[in-house]
Amino acid sequence: MITFDRVSKRYGRVTAVGELSLGIASGEIVVLAGPSGCGKTTSLTMINRLVEPSSGTISIDGRDTAGMDVNALRRSIGYVIQQVGLFPHQTVAENIATVPRLAGWNRRRIAARVEELLEMVGLPPVEYGRRLPAELSGGERQRVGVARALGADPDILLMDEPFGAIDPVVRVRLQNELLRLQKVLHKTIVFVTHDIDEAVRIGDRVALLSQGGVLEQYARPVELLAHPASPFVAQFLGEGRMVRRLALLRVRDAHLAEPNGSGLPAETVGADASLRDALDAVLRAESGRVTVRDADTVLGVIDSESIREASR
Amino acid sequence: MSIINYIVDNWGTLGPQVVTHIEIVAMSMAAAALSGLILGVFAARSERFSTLILGVTSTLLTVPSFALFGLLSIWVGLGNPPVIVGLVLYALLPVVRNTATGIRAVDPAVTEAACGVGMSPIQVLARVEMPLAAPAILGGLRQATVMVVAIATVGATVGADDLGQPILEALGRSSGTLVQVLAGVIPVALIGLTADLILAGVQRALSRGAARGAVG
Repeated sequence: MITFDRVSKRYGRVTAVGELSLGIASGEIVVLAGPSGCGKTTSLTMINRLVEPSSGTISIDGRDTAGMDVNALRRSIGYVIQQVGLFPHQTVAENIATVPRLAGWNRRRIAARVEELLEMVGLPPVEYGRRLPAELSGGERQRVGVARALGADPDILLMDEPFGAIDPVVRVRLQNELLRLQKVLHKTIVFVTHDIDEAVRIGDRVALLSQGGVLEQYARPVELLAHPASPFVAQFLGEGRMVRRLALLRVRDAHLAEPNGSGLPAETVGADASLRDALDAVLRAESGRVTVRDADTVLGVIDSESIREASR
Repeated sequence: MSIINYIVDNWGTLGPQVVTHIEIVAMSMAAAALSGLILGVFAARSERFSTLILGVTSTLLTVPSFALFGLLSIWVGLGNPPVIVGLVLYALLPVVRNTATGIRAVDPAVTEAACGVGMSPIQVLARVEMPLAAPAILGGLRQATVMVVAIATVGATVGADDLGQPILEALGRSSGTLVQVLAGVIPVALIGLTADLILAGVQRALSRGAARGAVG
């Protein structure tokens, strides 16, 4: 649990973050989102004290971070940045070994950990371990960045626009990989982005900040899209909120109709598909109705009315 | 091949002068490298200190070596000491400048990542900044070494018994010959080239992944 208690950061007369109070539950991905200048990166870097708050306290599991040894604090928190910042003179394996080495692990334990992490981020150790950062693609570099951040198995991971410089196709793949990793790792992840689509896809919760680090809304993505708390939030979310929200809801959770006398529609959709995919299928289907299947079992039939109901 | 004959015939005198010459250069470069690295790190951190130290060291380079050695001999006596001190002062500029430039050329994202994973400022310097600045630093050391090898000959005027001696003697005597001058100049050139080659090898070995554009 990371707790911001009335945390402010001022640079001279400019307030970057004003009296921010926020609780980040363990094991959740919390996205700090907002336009540039909203203080999201400042808020993030106050957690590992690369930026020191002007006032207020940030505590981790009840312990005020201001009282901790700053280097020990940082070693216990993974940190991933947009430019990755791999050490160009070190191999991929050496980069990933950074924190374990600082922590004084023995050689064998470090080697095993590096191998495990490379496997975890989908880079075969034999092929990648001895390469230099210059020999990697942008996506591969960021995977190594994530592996380095996970080096000593920290409970907390801070990610500052980690996929911001990566092309859209690879970005979606990395987002999905992060979600897959998180299912196994259960880290507390604080993720900064200015991309609202990324925010709602990645986040268990989204904290939307406006100019000067003012918290506009802190909610689950489905809640945020359905009920923006202010005109600012609505504007930042942009057009087509309800349609985009369908992408976050699953067919399984909708109220499905019993198949009626006319038999099952030929078109089918999986139970774990999103309502957006279901709507797409419904719009394509001749009858406007689609069969919902979970593997071999038929769960029911979905139509536009049940999608509308489920989305409210 | 009278030059080679001359060098062979006079090796009894020239040999020890070669050794002394190398000793003077090695001692000055060791001191200049150490102090230049430290000053360079501070220059990289502070713009004001950088302006100051680069101003001072470049001004030092404009003082004629002949005069500088002479002045220094007032305080440290004649022979090798004023030459070593003077050469250290000359060598500082390239070392300090290249160290500062090399450290400043390190990608800010890399140093941010280094701080972010919990390296102390000393660890960031030793494990990240210095290795990445190494090619540039070696470039400065090469420049300084070649320069110092040549200027050391002037040390003969204040009594250093190095390869400046045969040159000085030949120039000071009406019977002096070109062969005698070359007997000093050729070994100096060979020492300079050898030192440069060795340092170039070290530079290449340390350049792994570092910004090759920063090599000075």
